[in-house]
Amino acid sequence: MQILKVEDLSLQYGDQIILDQVSFSIKKGQIVGLLGPNGAGKSSIIKILAGLVFPKNGRLYFKSKLQNSFSDLREYCGYLIDSPSFYPYLTAKQNLNLIKKINKSDLKIEDLLFKVGLFDLNKKKVKHFSTGMKQRLAIAQALLRSPEILILDEPFNGLDPNGFQDVLNLLEKLNKDGITIIISSHLLNELEQFAEMFILLHNGKIALEICKETLINSKQRVAFTFENKPSSKANEYITKVDGIFTSDFKAVIHLKPNEIAEVVNTLVSIKSTPINVETLTILQEHYLEITA
Amino acid sequence: MINILQIELYKLFSSYRTYITFAITILLMLIVDLGLYSDGEEIFSFLLQPLNDNFYIEGNIVNGYLIAYLALNTLWVHIPVLIIIVTTHIFSGEFEYGTIRILLTQPISRSSLLTAKIISMIIYTICFMLIVAVFALIPSVIFFGTSDVIIFIDGIQFIQEATFLPRFFYATVFAILAMIAFSSMAMYFALWFRNTLTAILLSLGLLILFTLIQTFVLGIFSAWQPFLFTYHIAKWQLFFVDEIPFKTILNSALFLFTMSALFIGLSFWKFNKMNISE
Repeated sequence: MQILKVEDLSLQYGDQIILDQVSFSIKKGQIVGLLGPNGAGKSSIIKILAGLVFPKNGRLYFKSKLQNSFSDLREYCGYLIDSPSFYPYLTAKQNLNLIKKINKSDLKIEDLLFKVGLFDLNKKKVKHFSTGMKQRLAIAQALLRSPEILILDEPFNGLDPNGFQDVLNLLEKLNKDGITIIISSHLLNELEQFAEMFILLHNGKIALEICKETLINSKQRVAFTFENKPSSKANEYITKVDGIFTSDFKAVIHLKPNEIAEVVNTLVSIKSTPINVETLTILQEHYLEITA
Repeated sequence: MINILQIELYKLFSSYRTYITFAITILLMLIVDLGLYSDGEEIFSFLLQPLNDNFYIEGNIVNGYLIAYLALNTLWVHIPVLIIIVTTHIFSGEFEYGTIRILLTQPISRSSLLTAKIISMIIYTICFMLIVAVFALIPSVIFFGTSDVIIFIDGIQFIQEATFLPRFFYATVFAILAMIAFSSMAMYFALWFRNTLTAILLSLGLLILFTLIQTFVLGIFSAWQPFLFTYHIAKWQLFFVDEIPFKTILNSALFLFTMSALFIGLSFWKFNKMNISE
C-alpha cells in the first residue's frame, strides 16, 4: 500500500534551483534512504515534508489523498531535522512534556524515554547531554504523536560507533512496529545496511531510484587486484567475461552477486589468485560518480 | 491555542533570564531609593534653591511619591533595555537553540505559535512594568512617607498627595503600552535577523538615536519629533502635569498602538512566509 506520493516537487531560492520536478512514492512500512552529496537536495525534501520550507511547486498525496499543502503531512509524521535541538535549561522529561502538550498525546513520557534508552536520565538537563543522547531524545520527541511515518534528516551525524548502532537498532525496532521511515544521509554504507529503497539525488534531481531487492540481484562492479601481473590465461578469461583491466594489476568485471565466487574460483584454478576483491553496487557506483 | 500559550509561558518563566531582569530592576529601584535616602535632602535643597528664594515651602518635599516619580525617570533607558533582553529572546531564542524546527514540525499553525509568543511577550512586559511600579512606589513610600509633590515638567507642577496614586497608575498603564510598542519592534527585528543580540542592538540603537534627535527641540529635527516613538513614549510624564493633557496623551497612545499593530502585522507576514532552511 502506497503511503506517500510526491509529484513534481520544485524548490528555488532566487535563481538557484534546489529541487527540479522531483517525484517519488513510498510504500507503507518501507525504510527509504534519501541519498546524495551535500547540496543534492535531500535535506530540502525533508524540510518541505516537515513544513519548514515552502516549495515552488509540487503535490503531495498521503494514502492516495491529495493534501492541501505539504504542511498537512505534519499530522501523521514525526521528525528529526538536522542536529537535534532542545531547550538546554530544561530536562529531557520537561522538553518532551512541552511537545506532548502541543500534540495532546496520551503517550507516557517515561515509556518513551525507556524505549529510547534515556529513562535513567529523565531528570538531567539537556545541556549536559551528549550528541548521541540528544539524537535519541529527538527520536523520542518524534514518536510522541504515534506517527505513521518517521522522517529523519542525517540522524547519524556526530554519533560514535556505539551511538550509531544504538540509533540503528532503535530505528529497526520501530520499523518492525510498522512505522515507515524516510531517512536522509550522505553516509551510503550506513544506509545500505538497513534501508529497503534508495533515492539518490544529484543537483536537485533524482539520479537513481532502486529497491534493495533489485540492488542485490543486479550486477555489481567487482574489482580484482592481483599481486603480480595476471597470466595470459587469466587475461583471456577476464576478457571473456567482459572484464577490463584498469591497470596492470587490477581488473574490473560487472557480475551478479552469485557469480562472484565462480569467477574467483576460476582465477584461483588458473593460478592468478586475486589478493583483494572489492565490490561496488550500482548505487555505490552512481554515488561515487556523483561525488567524484 | 491555550496549550501553546501555556507552553510559551512555561518556557518564559523557566528561564533564568526572566528572573535576572526582574532582580536587576528591583535592585536598581532599591539603589535609587538608597541613594536618595542618604543624599536626597542635600540634592533637593540644592535643586529647590531658586524656589526657596521666592516661595515658602512647607512640608515634606522629598517624599516617597517624588522619589517614585524620579526613580521612573532615572531608569527610563534601563527599563526598555531589560525588557527587550527577554522579549527578543522569546522569538530569536528558538532560532538560536534550533528549537524552531521542533515547534514548526508539530501540527500547529505558524499564526497560533506567533500569537502565543506575542501574548507571552505582552504578559512579561506587564509583569515587568508592574514590578517597576511596585518597587518604585512601595519602598520609597516606606522610607520617605507621602506628601504633595513638586515636579518640573513644562514649569513647576504642584501635585496634590491625594491625586498622585491615580496619576501613577495611569502613567504605569501608558508605560506598559509604550513598552509593548517597543517590544513589538524588537520582536520584528528578532524574527528578521533570527538573532537576539542583533535585535537588541538595533532596537537600542534606534532608542538612543531617536532620543538624541528628540533633545534637539529646535532646528531641523524639531519637525521630526511627532514621528519618533521615543517622543511618544516619554508622554507618560504628562500624567504628572497639574491639568492632564488627555488629548496629547491619547494621540501618543494611538501612535504607540499603531506602532505595535504595524510591527505585529509585519511579524505575522514575515513568520508565515519564512523558510527555515538552516
